[in-house]
Amino acid sequence: MSVLPPFALHRPQSVDEALGLISFDDMPLGGGTELLLAMRMRVLRPDTLVNLKQLDELKSIRLDGSDLVIGGGVTHLAASESALVAEHLPILPKVLLEVGNPRVRASGTLAGNLVFAEPKSDVIPILLALDARVHLRSASGSRQMTIDEFIIGPYYCAREPEELLTEIRIPTAGIARAVYLKYQTMERPTVGVAALDMERDGTERRRVVIGAVAETPTLLDFAPGDQIDGAAIAATIEPIPDIAGSARYKRHVTGVYIDRAVAALDAERP
Amino acid sequence: MTAESAIEITTFVNGTEQSGYVPARATVAEYLRDDLGLTGTKTSCEMEVCGVCSVLVDGRPVSACAALAADLDGTTVTTVEGLAEEGRLSHLQQAFIEKSAAQCGFCTPGFLIMATALLAANPDPTRHEIAEYLDGNICRCTGYRPIIEAVELAATRMRESA
Repeated sequence: MSVLPPFALHRPQSVDEALGLISFDDMPLGGGTELLLAMRMRVLRPDTLVNLKQLDELKSIRLDGSDLVIGGGVTHLAASESALVAEHLPILPKVLLEVGNPRVRASGTLAGNLVFAEPKSDVIPILLALDARVHLRSASGSRQMTIDEFIIGPYYCAREPEELLTEIRIPTAGIARAVYLKYQTMERPTVGVAALDMERDGTERRRVVIGAVAETPTLLDFAPGDQIDGAAIAATIEPIPDIAGSARYKRHVTGVYIDRAVAALDAERP
Repeated sequence: MTAESAIEITTFVNGTEQSGYVPARATVAEYLRDDLGLTGTKTSCEMEVCGVCSVLVDGRPVSACAALAADLDGTTVTTVEGLAEEGRLSHLQQAFIEKSAAQCGFCTPGFLIMATALLAANPDPTRHEIAEYLDGNICRCTGYRPIIEAVELAATRMRESA
């Protein structure tokens, strides 16, 4: 008995070869933690899968200037174990070690989390908070965009069917401190809040990103010393009511977690 | 290169070499249970949430329900059937018996595999670290406490015998 619908498998030996194969009916397979489940539920029915697992060129983590560049095939576990990530972006391994469960972390990739535009993601809010950019390649060209431009809605991103998310580029300069707090009772977070003290374009700011609770994450920038009122911010959020709680309940939890994240950030100050 | 609907694989499962063709759509769980008869690996949620299908692939924990058998080519697989050596139970298996960490037993293979992965990476975990690592495994009988105590007991014995 097969749980998956029938498909054929491509096993390209290079990214260039993969780019020649990817299309609407020929989908790239990364960790499979989202795609295979969507296929099992018959939400997606590709004719073929283009297996990326054997492509080492997608598995690199490198520093380019002060940008950390994470390949499209890097798993949550691999990124969380990277000495380069720990040194230059210590908040990221902390977040990644709370993604899903150990099996999801060992197979699932950061890029996969992004292209599925999972609304209850830990990865997307922190990458948004860090001003990460995604690099998309196709056989005919390449382009870059911000997380805000890339994530259009729940399960809906700006990737075209023939494109592959090959790199995530994260600036590491100017981040004084960062925290990520989440509330979770089931397999995905009810709400996740990232709070950062950072300098961008010569301006000091305190940034708060609220993820998982609404259809898309919300980014707010404050001046240093601004009073941040969690309940007032939460009142502007539109939570998705579901089995984890009603909209009213989730709005309350969101306010509490914004306040706690801001307090945790203050506690990190020297 | 054309797309293949059947893929030739060679993999070492519990120390035994296995070679043959698998359908592209075959999951690791289907391959283990239906082709190799290794029914210790269960399936339940089939969404990588419940953990009953956990196996080790090259030492990494994997949900066998949502991984392709085709990707096993060139790997080493350990299932619950491979934890005992020469008929001797592993420290974890023995501790699960002594602490009554199984009731109906359906989730037990997954817990044993995940706890094996945990202790390989972290030989001296705190209770909190054990609970956190195993939070992707669901048990509806025990209430988890005996499972966590069994992992603690096994960890202590493994450190003493190392």
